[in-house]
Amino acid sequence: MDAKLTEVAQLFERFKAASIRNDFDSAANLLSQLKVLLTEFKSLPPLFEESPNAIQELTIARDIYEHAVVLSVKTEDQDAFERDFFQLKPYYTDTGSRLPPSPQEYPILGLNLLRLLVQNRIAEFHTELELLSSSALENPCIKHAVELEQSFMEGAYNRVLSARRTVPHETYVYFMDLLAKTVRDEIAGCSEKAYDYLSINNARQMLMFSTDKELYEYISEDHPEWEVKNGSVFFQKVKESAPSKEIPSLQLINQTLSYARELERIV
Amino acid sequence: MAATVSSASGLLAMLNEHHPLLKLHALSNLNAFVDHFWPEISTSVPVIESLYEDEEFDQRQLAALLVSKVFYYLGELNDSLSYALGAGPLFDVSEDSDYVHTLLAKAVDEYTVLKPKESSQESEKVDPRLEAIVERLLDKCILDGKYQQAMGIAVECHRLDKIEEAIIKSDNVHTTLSYCINISHAFVNPREYRREVLQLLVKIYQKLPSPDYLSICQCLMFLDEPEGVAKILEKLLRSENKDDALLAFQIAFDLVENERQAFLLNVRDLLSDPKPRPSDVPSGQDSSTGNAAPADVDMTVEAPAAVGNVLDPSEMTYSERLTRVRGILSGETSIQLTLQFLYSHNRSDLLILKTIKQSVEMRNSVCHSATIYANAIMHAGTTVDTFLRENLDWLSRATNWAKFSATAGLGVIHRGHLQQGRSLMAPYLPQSGATSGGSPYSEGGALYALGLIHANHGEGIKQFLRDSLRSTTTEVIQHGACLGLGLAALGTADEEIYDEVKNVLYSDSAVAGEAAGISMGLLMVGSASEKASEMLAYAHDTQHEKIIRGLALGIALTVYGREEQADTLIEQMTRDQDPILRYGGMYALALAYRGTSNNKAIRQLLHFAVSDVSDDVRRTAVLALGFVLYSEPEQTPRIVSLLSESYNPHVRYGAALAVGISCAGTGLSEAISLLEPLTSDVVDFVRQGALISMAMVMVQTSEASDSRVGTFRRQLEKIILDKHEDTMSKMGAILASGILDAGGRNVTIKLLSKTKHDKVTAVVGLAVFTQFWYWYPLIYFISLAFSPTAFIGLNYDLKVPKFDFLSLAKPSLFEYPRPTTPPAATSTVKLPTAVLSTSAKAKARAKKEAEKAAIAEKMSAEETSSGAASSGKGKTVAEKEGESMQVDSASEKKPEPEPTFEILTNPARVVPAQEKYIRFLEDSRYTPVKLAQSGFVLLKDLRPSEPEVLSLTDTPSSMVSPAAGGSATAAQQSQASSMVVDEEPQPPQPFECSL
Repeated sequence: MDAKLTEVAQLFERFKAASIRNDFDSAANLLSQLKVLLTEFKSLPPLFEESPNAIQELTIARDIYEHAVVLSVKTEDQDAFERDFFQLKPYYTDTGSRLPPSPQEYPILGLNLLRLLVQNRIAEFHTELELLSSSALENPCIKHAVELEQSFMEGAYNRVLSARRTVPHETYVYFMDLLAKTVRDEIAGCSEKAYDYLSINNARQMLMFSTDKELYEYISEDHPEWEVKNGSVFFQKVKESAPSKEIPSLQLINQTLSYARELERIV
Repeated sequence: MAATVSSASGLLAMLNEHHPLLKLHALSNLNAFVDHFWPEISTSVPVIESLYEDEEFDQRQLAALLVSKVFYYLGELNDSLSYALGAGPLFDVSEDSDYVHTLLAKAVDEYTVLKPKESSQESEKVDPRLEAIVERLLDKCILDGKYQQAMGIAVECHRLDKIEEAIIKSDNVHTTLSYCINISHAFVNPREYRREVLQLLVKIYQKLPSPDYLSICQCLMFLDEPEGVAKILEKLLRSENKDDALLAFQIAFDLVENERQAFLLNVRDLLSDPKPRPSDVPSGQDSSTGNAAPADVDMTVEAPAAVGNVLDPSEMTYSERLTRVRGILSGETSIQLTLQFLYSHNRSDLLILKTIKQSVEMRNSVCHSATIYANAIMHAGTTVDTFLRENLDWLSRATNWAKFSATAGLGVIHRGHLQQGRSLMAPYLPQSGATSGGSPYSEGGALYALGLIHANHGEGIKQFLRDSLRSTTTEVIQHGACLGLGLAALGTADEEIYDEVKNVLYSDSAVAGEAAGISMGLLMVGSASEKASEMLAYAHDTQHEKIIRGLALGIALTVYGREEQADTLIEQMTRDQDPILRYGGMYALALAYRGTSNNKAIRQLLHFAVSDVSDDVRRTAVLALGFVLYSEPEQTPRIVSLLSESYNPHVRYGAALAVGISCAGTGLSEAISLLEPLTSDVVDFVRQGALISMAMVMVQTSEASDSRVGTFRRQLEKIILDKHEDTMSKMGAILASGILDAGGRNVTIKLLSKTKHDKVTAVVGLAVFTQFWYWYPLIYFISLAFSPTAFIGLNYDLKVPKFDFLSLAKPSLFEYPRPTTPPAATSTVKLPTAVLSTSAKAKARAKKEAEKAAIAEKMSAEETSSGAASSGKGKTVAEKEGESMQVDSASEKKPEPEPTFEILTNPARVVPAQEKYIRFLEDSRYTPVKLAQSGFVLLKDLRPSEPEVLSLTDTPSSMVSPAAGGSATAAQQSQASSMVVDEEPQPPQPFECSL
């Protein structure tokens, strides 16, 4: 094991320690240093150069990124999650022939699916799903996310919300919390389209708020265009008065005339 | 085992990291993988762009390069280029990838668009980064030895400094220079800029240790700098080396070929006279000059020597050489030699004319004069007027304007007969003693004839023509005199003559005014003077259509070759209310952009060809295409092919003539295919135009190289003999047979000189010729476009020595068409078979003879003089002639295989298509000064001590007159024999038909 690898290994230990004791600042710092060090390993993606330490380097890099992903969940930083996940992904997809699969692989993939669901990026969700093998789909972590998505699509929002209790991994909790909000937004969107107005009560039930106050807060924060009056919520519909299609008579006349002229000119 | 990455998302994610090192890592890796992952990266372009825009980030250029590559893959070349510029030095011009190639091309394109604009107006500075890239590319080209590319780009980009660098650094400066001259003529468009390029080239040429004076002088001629040419010529003439003098003569001949009269006269006058310098004679005179001087004692010592001063030997040689160069520059030498050549090699077939004459109806004056035109064209420059002499009665049927043309026709026949021209025409010229009884028509015609004889070399005759113009008030004579003056003083821009012609114009007589308008144009060819607006103003004033038409053409002539400078005038004319002026505008476009293939001009002409309301304008617009495109004849048939199928007969006619003009003398197969259907068009004048054009295209193409020539000849004969054919197409057929055998079958129509410059006289001649639509006498202008297809080798004394050279092609490919046989009293249907059987036998015999002669030639080439061989050849020709006269029924002998080469004797007929086969014999006594396959070529004598055998001597040997042959057969035989004798053309006995 050469010096660099040792250095990375040591740094990694410190990072893990910081991460476990929830010292996020120093962990982020260490992580950043680690990533810079990793760029010097040529055996890592995208170069995949052959080197004697390739296996160790790949393994440790994968570990580092896995921990980075977990850390980002802990710090509730979705951007960092996405970033780290994408950097991690080549280790899963492209190194299968060289490394033994990581035990963390499916939980992290499931997390990512969940994140996409939370962010309502359904297309990408399915893209990711397509990339998984059928055996992977049997994995509880993945299965959980897939079931959630199905419920979500069916509109069985209560099932979505109740699924929080059956998380397969403790890191999932954070996203499940966020999911509630996503569901609510979805409902709000549908209501807007479906109704002209709703009574406060109905609206509260529909949006699964326990108190009117929470409803008002939600409206003022996320949907300032809604109007609350006479005990009802009015959804201001963007009434696009479709402009009646006018016949471009002038243009047509011009065109016809020019055709006639061109015909004259045909030699 | 080796794993590859399947997605760039990891790297893209890394771009969002905060640490700059990580961003850098991501960028450089992405840059490496962009070729595979650009679709993924393209979604992240905004991120990368923001990196590029981030002033803090120190790898901005890398980001720019990456974005540029992605845009390249997306096909957004403009964005790609602008980011590539941002990438600075990271954009590696030497990288061998599609990306770099594409972007470089784009950059060069961009630069070539921007750079010329920058110089003209200060609107926008070219991006210095763009400039840097192009310069890097140029430097690399030069380093790699790709000089032509470098030069091409530099020329396009208007970077004279880079052109110079490329030329100087190239390993073969001469080839590079000549390449550069070629491209500057073919592709450099704005005239002004082309001048700059040529100036630069001249500068480079002059810096070279061994300058190529031939090319320099060509450039200088284009730049219109007679001083430079004069200086070079003088230097060469003063040189002690005889070869330099030969070179000077060669230069002079080459300059003459371009027919810029005013320029040539300037050069001639600028050559300084030899100064008597008795004091500073270098004592150690080189013996070579000493040798040269006595060798030339037979030369007439002219004016300078007559001064009486004792000139030292070197000045003597100089003055002697000077006389010769002046003779060449004035055009007299070449005209004289041409005349001798055309006379001695005349092979025109009088039988064709006889057939035409007999078949043409007595009362049909159009066909009658057409026959006279055809005769004149057939014998243009040969001085053979046998046909006229034999048919005086028939000729006298020409009345009025027909008489005018008949008389003028003599001018075409005697074209170039500078010394005797006036005495030849004397019987017809207006007598000073007022009413001499001569008809004004023949008098006017005679003046026109004088102009044709002296076309573009009118120094001697100008004064006489002016006097004649002044002393007459008859409009017919004025007409002739105006045309004559215009021709004689072509392009001299002589103010006095101009004013005199203008006076005629202002008399507002339709007939005289028309000629005056054309004449003014001829005088001012290419001058682009403000006279044009004066003429335009008068064209608006006058009521006479004829005058307007004459002026319109005249105005067009003034802008000859001015390209962009003529745009204002062209604009003015093409927008005029009067269709005749618009018609002139078409000519102006044609002449201003002659031979440039300028896209703008072509577009404009095509536009008018389909959109103008006047048929005349449309016809002319199409026709004008022929002039614009004559430097690239292959293009024309393609461009006008649609127009030739137009429903409008005028457009079809124009298309036919356009092809005829631009493909004249080429025998181009596509041109013939396009014209063929038109020769049987439903409209008579379209047939006429097509027949004439076809003749112009096919002139000097032998039946062996394109069988359609024979078909065409038979078609012409059929049309002429057909009683029911329309007069118009009949006239076309008669003219076509004239053009097909023009100048005794020894000339072709050539609008470009060998150096690819335009021949002013020829182009102007054709332009006025196309006016025959309105005015038949203008048909004679086509004779200006004729140039002899000859190889004429000249020695130091400008004499024509006898020597042989090779033509490495089957003789039948380029031989003269066989003379037609008189119809053997049987029905005409049988005629073709009779011709075939005779000629087959004659051919077989001739072949055998030629072979024998060739073998004899080869054996005797070394020790004997070539005289014997050539006389043998002469015999062959005579025999062949004799043979073909007898109708033989069966051919017993099997035809032997044709030899694959032919030995020609100086001066020889070398048709343009034959030029590439011409070789000089290795052991020949003479070598040419420059490598040329036709035209006038100065020869270096390798064995000066041996006596020279001259052909085409200019001392009259006998007083045999070619005239007065009894029958056509006899005339031909006498011609055949006269060829052997090689005598100087005699001034024919003056004859006067009772016109």
